[in-house]
Amino acid sequence: MALPVGIDFEFRKLIMDVHIGSDKIKYCYQCNRCTDNCPVASVANPFYENVFDPRLIVLGTLLGYKDVVMMLAGTKSAIIPWGCTVCDTCDTVCPQAIEVTEIIALAKNVTTGAGLAPDNIVAQAKTVFESGKAIPSQPAIERRREQLGLPGVVTPDVNEVQTLLKAVGADKKL
Amino acid sequence: MTEYKMFEGCTIGNRIPFIEAASRKVFDKIGVQTSQAPFACCPDPTGVKSFDNTTWLALGARNLCLAEAEGKDIISLCNGCANTLRGVQHQLKHDSNKKEAINKELAKIGKEYKGSIDVKHFVDVLLSKLNAIKGGITKQMSDLKVACHPGCHYMRPVEWMDSDDPLRPKNLKEIVAASGANVVDYEELGLCCGNAVAGPFPEHGDAILKQKLDSIKKAGANCIVVNCPACFQRLDGEQRNLSKKFESEYNIPVLYVTELLALAMGVNSEEIGLKNHRTRRNTAIENL
Repeated sequence: MALPVGIDFEFRKLIMDVHIGSDKIKYCYQCNRCTDNCPVASVANPFYENVFDPRLIVLGTLLGYKDVVMMLAGTKSAIIPWGCTVCDTCDTVCPQAIEVTEIIALAKNVTTGAGLAPDNIVAQAKTVFESGKAIPSQPAIERRREQLGLPGVVTPDVNEVQTLLKAVGADKKL
Repeated sequence: MTEYKMFEGCTIGNRIPFIEAASRKVFDKIGVQTSQAPFACCPDPTGVKSFDNTTWLALGARNLCLAEAEGKDIISLCNGCANTLRGVQHQLKHDSNKKEAINKELAKIGKEYKGSIDVKHFVDVLLSKLNAIKGGITKQMSDLKVACHPGCHYMRPVEWMDSDDPLRPKNLKEIVAASGANVVDYEELGLCCGNAVAGPFPEHGDAILKQKLDSIKKAGANCIVVNCPACFQRLDGEQRNLSKKFESEYNIPVLYVTELLALAMGVNSEEIGLKNHRTRRNTAIENL
């Protein structure tokens, strides 16, 4: 497929700011150690035609290719950037100490705003917004806690949680 | 005695509470005191953080404010919660712009984040009490051959977890060894359980989990010990599915490290709800 090659400077700045007080991302020399050690990259080939490749995500986002990220995220088997399993192995093995997982997380954030996040991610965020918990309390589990001699889970003030989440605009992304 | 604020997290608290039961039993025996607080979701470092980093920061900072108000450190029973709460601290500590912005929003609910408390993963607390653990063991554990799976978020990224060697973790092994059980080394010790990718891409998640389980099988383990509820659900809950899918036999029982310790300390398996596990117990565990 033909990829759009426009540079989005806002997006580029977002990625450049991932490393707090450091410009080390500029010194990525594309050695491929992140991809070599990525557990998803190692199993990606047999199942989908598009390969999961952290090295290319670093390069593409650093160059400001927001449209490319969005286009890849918008295809049906959109493994970019959502194939990242957040194991932080790439960060650990990077010889330049680049926080690759943080870069991928930001790329995910951008696609979420455009409605391109996987269903389970949006569902979890909705549940957190509605109940303050990713897994709300259920009568059956409450009974089991009692049988096990556990105190009840102290529930958060949902109004307070929703006020805060609305203040940061989370409700608009749901 | 130090009292921690207990952060059991959504998964343990509201889905698999038997792990909390075992953890509280062990804490009582080794002298770790806890109290509750109205914490919200941490929130999930693989879910909500991927959804929106600012939302993740705000909700995480609110939880930290609750512990700060009492001047007590948090003890987390979950890799994800520990990783989020420590990660939020890390971003807010090193980025004054973010801290200022989040505090502006927190003011709307009458809170301010200061950064005055610490967040401890329960494994690190256990590790600081190895002598108390050793002193509490009453059972003969030598039939167990344990493959340890500490899980990614316990030790990575080192920038804010700072707990163990990020690629060759040893803390969980040390605790298991202190119980008297045998630790079995295997090649894929540092490999992810594939939980986060399994949501949108189950094929990839299963392929990663298969690699992990194959490596554990090859090492001859008869038990897997974990310290994360997400990893627990993957390793305990998915073995039957994987057996069918890959026409191979996966039936290695999985224990939370606090379940292993509770059993080793003579707690009855009924008391900690061990029957709620998906994988069947084998004789090595049955005989404890």
